[in-house]
Order: sequence, then structure tokens, then C-alpha cells
Amino acid sequence: MNARTTWAARVVLIMTTALMLLPLLYQVGLSFKSPTEFFGNPLSPFPLQPTLEHYQGVLNRLPMGLYLLNSLLFSGAVTLGQIGLAIPAAYAFSHQRFVGQHLLFALIVLSMMIPFVITYIPNYLTIASWNLLGTLPGMVLPFLGSGYSVFLLRQHFRAFPSSILEAAVVDGASPSQVLWRVLAPANLAAIVSLGIYLFIQSWNQLIWPMLIASSPKVYTLTVGVQRFAGGEGGNDWGAMMAASVLTNLPTIVLFLLVRKGLLATFTDGAVKG
Amino acid sequence: MVPVFIPLALFVFYPLFRTVYISFFEWNLVNPKREFIGFENYTEILRQPEFITMLLQSLYYMGLALIGNFLLPIGLALLTLQVSSREAEIYQTLLFIPAVIAVSIGTLIWLWFYLPAGGLFNAILGAWQLPRPAWLNDPSLALPAVALVANWKFLGFHYLIALAGLRAIPKEFLEAARVDGASGWNLIAFVVLPLFAPSAIFLLVSTLLQSLEQVFVPIEVLTVGGPAGATDNLMYSVYNEGFKFFRAGRAAALSVFLIAAFAALIYWQFRLLEKRVTYER
Repeated sequence: MNARTTWAARVVLIMTTALMLLPLLYQVGLSFKSPTEFFGNPLSPFPLQPTLEHYQGVLNRLPMGLYLLNSLLFSGAVTLGQIGLAIPAAYAFSHQRFVGQHLLFALIVLSMMIPFVITYIPNYLTIASWNLLGTLPGMVLPFLGSGYSVFLLRQHFRAFPSSILEAAVVDGASPSQVLWRVLAPANLAAIVSLGIYLFIQSWNQLIWPMLIASSPKVYTLTVGVQRFAGGEGGNDWGAMMAASVLTNLPTIVLFLLVRKGLLATFTDGAVKG
Repeated sequence: MVPVFIPLALFVFYPLFRTVYISFFEWNLVNPKREFIGFENYTEILRQPEFITMLLQSLYYMGLALIGNFLLPIGLALLTLQVSSREAEIYQTLLFIPAVIAVSIGTLIWLWFYLPAGGLFNAILGAWQLPRPAWLNDPSLALPAVALVANWKFLGFHYLIALAGLRAIPKEFLEAARVDGASGWNLIAFVVLPLFAPSAIFLLVSTLLQSLEQVFVPIEVLTVGGPAGATDNLMYSVYNEGFKFFRAGRAAALSVFLIAAFAALIYWQFRLLEKRVTYER
């Protein structure tokens, strides 16, 4: 590859990246701009005299600590539940033989293709009939079964040599020991990456938690910020952006900490698939 | 293995059947009384001219997703092959950042960008003395404006998959082609892209399948389907009918249309992949 093409490619990539990050730059910039600067100087994303007033305002007006706790509980429960159910299933589909295996695996794949929106009304009715509207369990339950998690882990488990697992069985290990002492630890990196991905995904959920959360007591961060933006904070752009930055911060930091493993696990799943 | 099928059965497969069942009733979701009306929800939907408009708008969204989340990421991924993998990692990371934030939160800043008075875009256009459109209030601009937000949000995701697909092409093929004198665009057009085709088909279909889902929250935050239904689509209307207008039967019938559309797309994907395999033999 010659130097000219490399430079041309680099320039396009840098410009695209800059454009892609610009909205987030404005989001952060606006959260630090005073109202006078917001109206007087809308073009620049950078505040000349940064102020913390919007952050103080948001923390005073909204129970952000409670929303944060709800987001953590919701995302944590979805992640742990989904992974806990997916690991044994991925083991069964990758290293065990049983009747109906192909049919059941087809169901797993099928479940990934069903558009989420069609499940809303029936699931809403189910959650309502269990008296779980307005509760965290009502938010969590529909997300516990995930074809995607089973599929992705199976792709990783399959790459593990069967001979080692068979040797463990010969040595007297039970199937569950084989799974939890050998196969799962050997794929810990993939499991952790999937977990972080699921955590971020759940953290970012809006529609279902919004349908279920009938009172501010169970609002997650996304729901709380959305209700604020659609209501009393609708014209208060500084406050809206401060709340946005606070909501985004945990996922961006988490992503930057684990980005390498996360991106690799994810693309492996897609390419091997 | 069995436990995972309990929530899947309750919250994914059972809703599928229940939706079909509900679609034969006229029902407002809360009233215990519901009336069996057969196929009336379906015929009513098909009779409305708005349904065709909505289908066309769904296709419009898909078309825009093909540009922004299929062609563009593949182009960027091809360019990325020209730089070192260390450098590529930086672009991958930075371009993925919009994909890890919440769609609803990321969309809020665009709500300000698009503000007719006081928003960023019109401030820029005003500074250049250019006409300032009403963006989200303009029926012809609202849909592409909403689609742009979704394309921005999910680009990093599709770019990552495109790049992984391109990198999965065995190096020997590329070297053999170079030895035979292929270079530059010839190499890309006649060697790289044909080998990339299976990944591309996967990416193409997942882009199409996800496009309506990916604009869902931007629609909810920016326009709620308006102005006058100009940003509505088949997927959003299911939610709108069910939870805003409380017409559960109508929403369920729309769901059935949506399922049919998805099934057709998925069937088409498998046909394409099959053809590809025979061709390779």
C-alpha cells in the first residue's frame, strides 16, 4: 500500500470520526454553558466560562441517586439472569447431544429474529396479570431469555476442544462440573465481555422500562431523563444535557475500560456466525 | 438447557400466538370486555390509504439505513484496511462510542440541533444567510432527519462488523492476486468484494431488519410519528396504536403484517446465501 492512499484514507477516517463525535461534544459543552452563553454563542461547542449550575440544578430537581440505583438494579439483574440462563444452554448446544437439539436450536435462532415491538402488548398483559406493573421485576422478567446470548456463547464454547471435556468426564467429572469448572472458566473472557455488553444494552433501554415504570420510584436513568425532557425540563437545555452526560458517563467509561475484549468478542460472534 | 426456554416461551413465543389471537378482537387493552370481529382489523388497515404511505415510509427508512449503515460503513472499513491495525483500533473505538450510549439520550442533543429557532443547524444556516427549514416540523424533511440520528447512533456497530468481515478474507488470496498484478480498485472490486459477499449479505439483511427498530426511539423522542404521520413506520405504528390509542386489536393486526415482512426478508436472506454457496462450488 502506498503512502498517498494511506494518507487519503486517514484524512477521511479522521474527518468521519470527528463528525461522529461532534454531537457528544455539543452535549458535554452545552451542559457546562451558562444560559447567556447558550443563547449568545450557540455555534461553538466549547463554553467560554464553564459553569456547574446545570449539574447542581439537575441533582437538586431530580432524584438522580434513586434513578441510578434503579438503573443498576435493572441492568444488573438482566445481565446476571440472562448469562446465568445462557451458559448451560450454550453448553448443551455446543458439547452435548440430545433429542430435538436441532429443533430447539432453530427456536433459539428464531427468537433472535422476532421484532421486539410485537411482544410489548402481550408481555404488558402478562406482567399486569401478575401484578408486577410499576415494579423492577416486571421490567426485568421479559429480558431474561435471550437467544442472542445463547447463540454468542455457543459460538465461543464450540471452539473449545471436546477431547479435554471428554477427558474430564473419564476422570469422573459430572456434566455440571465439566461446565462450571472447565468450560466456563476457559471462556471467562467471552462471558465477561458479553456481560458488559448486556449491561450497557439494558442500561440504555427506554421503551419497556417506560411502559412498566408507572411511578418515579422505579424510574431508571433513561426513563427519568426522558420524562424530564418531555415535561418540566423541556426547554432547559443545559439541565437536559447535564442529565444526559451523567447518564452516558458510566457506559462510556465502562466501554473504554474493556473496549478491546468487548469488540473482539462481539466480532468473533458475528464472523463465526 | 431447559431453564432458558421458560422465559423465551413466556415472553417471546407465547406473545407471538397471543398477538395473532388479539388481532381478531376489537379491544382497548383495559376494558375486560372485548368483541370478536374476525378479520375486520386486517381489512380496515388494508382499506386505509395511510397504510400504503406507512409501508412506503418504512421502505424509505430502510433505504436510508442502506446508505448510512451498510454502504458507508463498508466504505469506511475498506479505507481502514489502508492504515495499520493499531491506528484502525483508534477509529474503531471512537466510532463505537455513539453506539454504547442510550439512543434516547443521544437523540436529545439532536432535538436541539433541529430546533427551528435557536437550534444549531439553523444557527449555522442563518450565519451563512441561507434558508432555514423547519426540520422536524417539515413533513418532507422530518423522516430523513430522524433516520440520520439512527444512522449516526448505530454506524459504529455496522462498521465493526464490516471491518471484521473484510479482515476475515484469507491473506493468501490477496497476495496471490497482487502477484498476478491486481492492485488498487481492481483488487478491491474483483478480489476483496466478491470474497466479502457472504458477510455483506449478512450485514445487508441485518441492516434491513434492524433499521425500523433502530429508528424507533429517535421517532419517539423527536417526532412521535408526526408531523401528520410523516415519520411513522410499520414497527412504530404497532406501539403507537397499542399504547397511545389503546387499539390493541389493530396493533396486533399490524404486528402480523410486520412479522410477515420480517419472515419474507429472512427467507430472502437464506435464498441469497444458498445461491452464493452453489456458486462457490
